Amino acid sequence: MSATEIIFWILSVLALVSGLMVIFSKNPVYSVLWLISLFFAISGHYILMNAQFLAIVNIIVYAGAIMVLFLFVIMLMNLSATAEPKKKVWMKFTGVISGGLLLWILLSVVRSSIDMRGKIAEVKTGDIGLVENLGKVLFTEYAVPFEICSVLFLSAMVGAVVIGKKEE
Amino acid sequence: MNAIILSAVLGVVMMFSSVLVSNQKAYKGIALVGLLIILIANINETYNGPIFEINTYNMLAFDGFSLFFNTIAIVCTGVYFILTSKQIEKVGGHTAEYFTLIFFVLCGATILSAYNNLLMLFIGIEILTIPLYILTGSKKKDLKSNEAALKYFLMGSFSTGLMLMGIALIYGGTGTFALEKIIPAAASAQGAPAVTAQTLSFLEVGGMLLVTFSLAFKVSAAPFHFWLPDVYYGAPSVFTSFMASVVKAAAFVAFLKLFIARAAGTSVDVSKIIGVDWKMIVAILIICTLLVGNISAVRQQNVKRMLAYSSIAQAGFMLFAIFSLNEMAKEGILLYAVAYSLATIGIFAILSRMKDYTFAGYNGLAKSNPALAFANTVFLLSLAGIPLTAGFFAKYYMLASVMQTGHYMWLVIVGVLFAAVSADYYFRVIQSMYFKNSESENEGQLEENPSNIFKITVVALAIVIILVGVFPNSVLYWLYN
Amino acid sequence: MYHLTNILDATPTVNTAGGYLPIIIQLVFAVGFVASTLLISNFLGPKRISKEKLEPFASGIPSHGEARQPLAIKYFLVAILFVLFDVEVIFFYPYAVNFKSLGWTGFGEVLLFVAFFLIGFFYIVKKKALIWED
Repeated sequence: MSATEIIFWILSVLALVSGLMVIFSKNPVYSVLWLISLFFAISGHYILMNAQFLAIVNIIVYAGAIMVLFLFVIMLMNLSATAEPKKKVWMKFTGVISGGLLLWILLSVVRSSIDMRGKIAEVKTGDIGLVENLGKVLFTEYAVPFEICSVLFLSAMVGAVVIGKKEE
Repeated sequence: MNAIILSAVLGVVMMFSSVLVSNQKAYKGIALVGLLIILIANINETYNGPIFEINTYNMLAFDGFSLFFNTIAIVCTGVYFILTSKQIEKVGGHTAEYFTLIFFVLCGATILSAYNNLLMLFIGIEILTIPLYILTGSKKKDLKSNEAALKYFLMGSFSTGLMLMGIALIYGGTGTFALEKIIPAAASAQGAPAVTAQTLSFLEVGGMLLVTFSLAFKVSAAPFHFWLPDVYYGAPSVFTSFMASVVKAAAFVAFLKLFIARAAGTSVDVSKIIGVDWKMIVAILIICTLLVGNISAVRQQNVKRMLAYSSIAQAGFMLFAIFSLNEMAKEGILLYAVAYSLATIGIFAILSRMKDYTFAGYNGLAKSNPALAFANTVFLLSLAGIPLTAGFFAKYYMLASVMQTGHYMWLVIVGVLFAAVSADYYFRVIQSMYFKNSESENEGQLEENPSNIFKITVVALAIVIILVGVFPNSVLYWLYN
Repeated sequence: MYHLTNILDATPTVNTAGGYLPIIIQLVFAVGFVASTLLISNFLGPKRISKEKLEPFASGIPSHGEARQPLAIKYFLVAILFVLFDVEVIFFYPYAVNFKSLGWTGFGEVLLFVAFFLIGFFYIVKKKALIWED
């Protein structure tokens, strides 16, 4: 087992455990902290796949900024134990069933395909994920979507002001 | 391209005017003038090509279909502005921002009509929906509006997440975002051997299913419709009107384009491309949607809620286009976009002026306001698909497109049956207006007496719907010229 | 499976995952240092727990109510605006690396992108969204 493989397995286990803990934590703040650890694990995977830009962005934007927003949202809400609504049992039940169905469908699709049989994650080929190559593509081929994204940002800004600003 | 750029620019202009122009009444004027510019630019592009020469690397393709849909969307937005701008001003203190967001939604709609690339599909859907979350929650003091916005946001972003997951899987399977290249490698130019599920990678099949379900969510096909009644009911009526008309039509065009490209890109039929029994999945979606929409709509006591469910039922009819995937389906979806959007905008324009949103609130409207009652009747008849209104030919084209595919007669029969059911709840409104008397005679059913201009535009809209119903080719003529 | 054999033997450069080995080592040391000091002080330090000591300190005034009060939305407004501009800055990384090769076209694209954000910034300032109101 090479060093890379060991790192891969450690990161995978970390990612899965953190992902599960996000769901199972009773305290929402703990969920957010587990989510941060999940993001770090995934960033590690990105680095192994030579997608360095994604790895950095994932840490700066997601683990840094977005998580702060998550914490703010949690603090905005009134989450004292008395205010917590009771969840109905049948709702949990239907949730489990529908989630399980999706898992079953995806698994059966995976099993029925031939070309993926016996293959495992294929990585370390190509260096499109490097900052330089990604920039070249982003500012030539993907320039139009890139510019259109700014419309998205503008509408988010307007939205933040419309929803968040006190009306006179 | 013109429409995308100009509607984004117009959004920016409205943002600026919200800071620089203090006169509340001026916003409507600016918005209407801007919309006119977009319309002219779009029609100009249809005949003379775009003003802005931009290499999109084939991510956006502006063919006759997409440009014509843009025209429809822009015209419908214009009608919407004319009829309801007064109500928009009443929603809250951010009038200019509401117009800004509507322009951004229009930008998203124009992207969705032209996208040729899954990346653009994602960006278009995002630009289309994010302003809507905000518009839904724009009545900040109203708990219903808050709840609707939160529900819409959570469910909507979840489904967008599914779509992103699907796109990622497809990219993993094919290595491209381009729609015309996502056909499986086996169906290449030489001879195109039959493609079966076995030769497809699971990445592609799984990805395609996820994108499909996510889009089914966006167009509110059952069983992905649960968000819709609460959102449509809770959102301010003016914005429900926009969501139920232009936005819904845009989402359907996006849905159709995704699969039309795949149907055209290869000689094998789509159900083989997807790798699972595609027709069956869509047929189940259609029947569920028609069933849930119609049966629930019959049971409603509130007109706004009834319209929300009827919008699900109408989505069931529009899904026929995605089932049949032929040229007639394309024509049909455009005709449906015109008929359904105009009628919905008209109905909501009247509804948002009512004091009471229940059926009883409409009692005796024909006596106090015969013009509005007449127009409302035409809109309702059009939604029900009664001959001589635009809605009839819209439904006819949908069913005919299914007939054209050959085998699926039973589906057509199901569609006709549910169209008959839908007449029940539309006619109840008409019945209230004409055959029931208002309990409080002297008060009147509307919040305030509508201006004559409003009455004239509403009646004119009703006449347009009848004209389209008599001469449906007058709409489709423009598609081919 | 990842076949990053060069992670240990090949000459590590910036452009391979192997180049991140020093960072991983540093990360392990940083996390290890914090964790070990916490653990060690936990074991070595004396523990004399009493009821008063476990109470939250509030300048001697007995605490009442819950600590978790809903936060004002103005914090969130600033935070979300920060995130938007943070995302904008992210796009400068790939541009900066390719600054020369992209030439004037690239400059124009970035300028357009920044212009959109400047419009947004102007709007935010004019709407007084950044003014801290009580």
